[in-house]
Amino acid sequence: MTTVEDTGTRRSAQRTSLWGWLLALPTAWMVTFFVSSMAIIVLLSFGRTTNDGYPAFALSTANYRAIWNEVYLELLVRSLLYALATVVISALIAYPVAYAIALHGGRYKNALIAAIVVPFFASYLVRMYAWKALLSDDGLVNSGLRASGLSDGVTFLNTPWAVIGGLVYGFVVFMILPVYASLERLDTSLIEAGRDLYHGPFRTFVGVTLPATRAGLYGGALLVFLPALGDFVSAQLLGGANTYMMGNLVQQQFAEGQNWPLGSALTVGMMVALTVLMVAYLRATSTRGGER
Amino acid sequence: MRASRRGVLAGGLALGVTTLPGCAYIRDDVPTKVELPTSAKAKVDGDLVYFNWADYLAPSVVKGFQEEYGVKVIESNYDSMEGMYAKLAAGNQYDIVFPIAKWVVKLRQEGKLRAIDPAQLTNADQVFWSGSYFNDPWYDPGSQASVPFTVYKTGVGWRTDKVSTMTNSWQDLWNDQARGRIFTLDDQDEALAMAALSLGYDVNTAEPSELADMKDLLVSQKEYLRAYSSDDINNMMAGDAWVHHMWSGDFLYLRQGLADDPTMFDFESPSEGVPINSDAYVIPTNARHPGTAMLFIDWLLRPENAIKNMKYLYYPFPVKDALPAFADLAADVPACNVEISDLENENVFRLLGTDEVQRRAAVWTAVKAS
Repeated sequence: MTTVEDTGTRRSAQRTSLWGWLLALPTAWMVTFFVSSMAIIVLLSFGRTTNDGYPAFALSTANYRAIWNEVYLELLVRSLLYALATVVISALIAYPVAYAIALHGGRYKNALIAAIVVPFFASYLVRMYAWKALLSDDGLVNSGLRASGLSDGVTFLNTPWAVIGGLVYGFVVFMILPVYASLERLDTSLIEAGRDLYHGPFRTFVGVTLPATRAGLYGGALLVFLPALGDFVSAQLLGGANTYMMGNLVQQQFAEGQNWPLGSALTVGMMVALTVLMVAYLRATSTRGGER
Repeated sequence: MRASRRGVLAGGLALGVTTLPGCAYIRDDVPTKVELPTSAKAKVDGDLVYFNWADYLAPSVVKGFQEEYGVKVIESNYDSMEGMYAKLAAGNQYDIVFPIAKWVVKLRQEGKLRAIDPAQLTNADQVFWSGSYFNDPWYDPGSQASVPFTVYKTGVGWRTDKVSTMTNSWQDLWNDQARGRIFTLDDQDEALAMAALSLGYDVNTAEPSELADMKDLLVSQKEYLRAYSSDDINNMMAGDAWVHHMWSGDFLYLRQGLADDPTMFDFESPSEGVPINSDAYVIPTNARHPGTAMLFIDWLLRPENAIKNMKYLYYPFPVKDALPAFADLAADVPACNVEISDLENENVFRLLGTDEVQRRAAVWTAVKAS
């Protein structure tokens, strides 16, 4: 009887060490390329710029004092609002799409998911340029509107909505996939049970389907929110004179601004703010999840 | 469609800057006075490793060089001067690079350039004739380490069918008829220079009081602006811009090369003065095939090749026997022409110290963020 237990432990020990070895490579990768570059950014945020324009390590808090600037705070608020709008719109688009595929896709499910994912293999940048061509004042959409007599033309580009639209287009797939995964796992008999208990389709959806797929929505919200908040491409290509975001500010410091230390301090400051927000969000969503 | 020279900056930076090996770039002091390594002889010593803006020479000229000398041209591109500099600083080896004048100063100061002996170039007299501005340009005394490539200016382009009240002044970037359809270049030096010239200041000013005035002026422009963008050609072609702060060569390409009806577009060189700048050919110290690079420069100085390049890029090349051809190209829009004598002015972008650059950057950031 002990032998059984013994082999059990030995096997699991073997398995652990195998996993340990398998994890070594990705760990080394992450340490080299992620943790160390993070460390350089943190160190550089206390640095300075030499007279020749080179970033150099130092022990200065000047960069952190410089980011305490109400203009930057305004940008942070604007970026948060854009990112939140992106999450909400992404959810409104992603849920019906994921729902239709998961519950009514039948044997085409995988093909449909592939059809959604494949366009995202094209560079984000190329897709933003495509939007520019589509939505410009003399672009395809406006030409169509004019030809059909629906409108004299609409100014789409260089507005906050163009920036948010670009962000949604850029990141909506990160919402579709987790929502789809949670809908796929949904036990459809729950929906039938809801109907049996005389719920209409709407009440069934709000009372049964939505709560059961909450985890997917929460996860998707996070996956969309984070890249949207730090993005600068959408604002640069589709934005106007008043749509500058945090991402643009950081990018500016690393390019023409010739101020890597300030850019690093902004990055660290934003990461701290985001971590606080994220922890609060995860706590709130997991307690609510626990109530079930 | 060809993008503007710096129009692709945004995305490029996402790739360019993040691939920087940090350590190579982070160091404290750089020697400022370095002897130039001697010039190479102009003879084939391998394939040419070429580093330039994307699509920035006529393909037929590059192809012709490969056929004439039996070498290959291996092309890499940069999307900003910062990106170009970072690659060189990280130790990458290129045989020929095409920096803007003030970056020639920086590269030369840091000992990153080889001398270029004009005696090795059979067409040297095309740029270094007796009395030529380029015999002793401000950015490279004695033209010891560079050969001039193109010259260009920055002005204002507009739609003649939409706007009728242009006044040949930078004030036209505040034009009421075009309110909401005006673009300013998304370029720190260019935007600040436009404000400085409007106020009668030096284009390179870093004086705090003058910067404050420039900031107020640029902020006052925001209600007229549609956006800050360096994609000037496409913004005009797509109908988004009616008035655009733009580069002379980009305008000429738009009007002569792209537009169905060229008379819809016009360009002015504002009377307060305009930035006029130049690009150059240089050979880095660590180039492995400097001899082929010398031959390539000589090839580009041949008037027939300079003319082909001009008809492709729409920027004037200061090559003596090619200048009349450019004047023809710009005949309908003389404001786009840049005479070599135009270069003798103070409105060139100079290499500034870190404090000055950062003060200017803070103003530009505040304008865009406000």
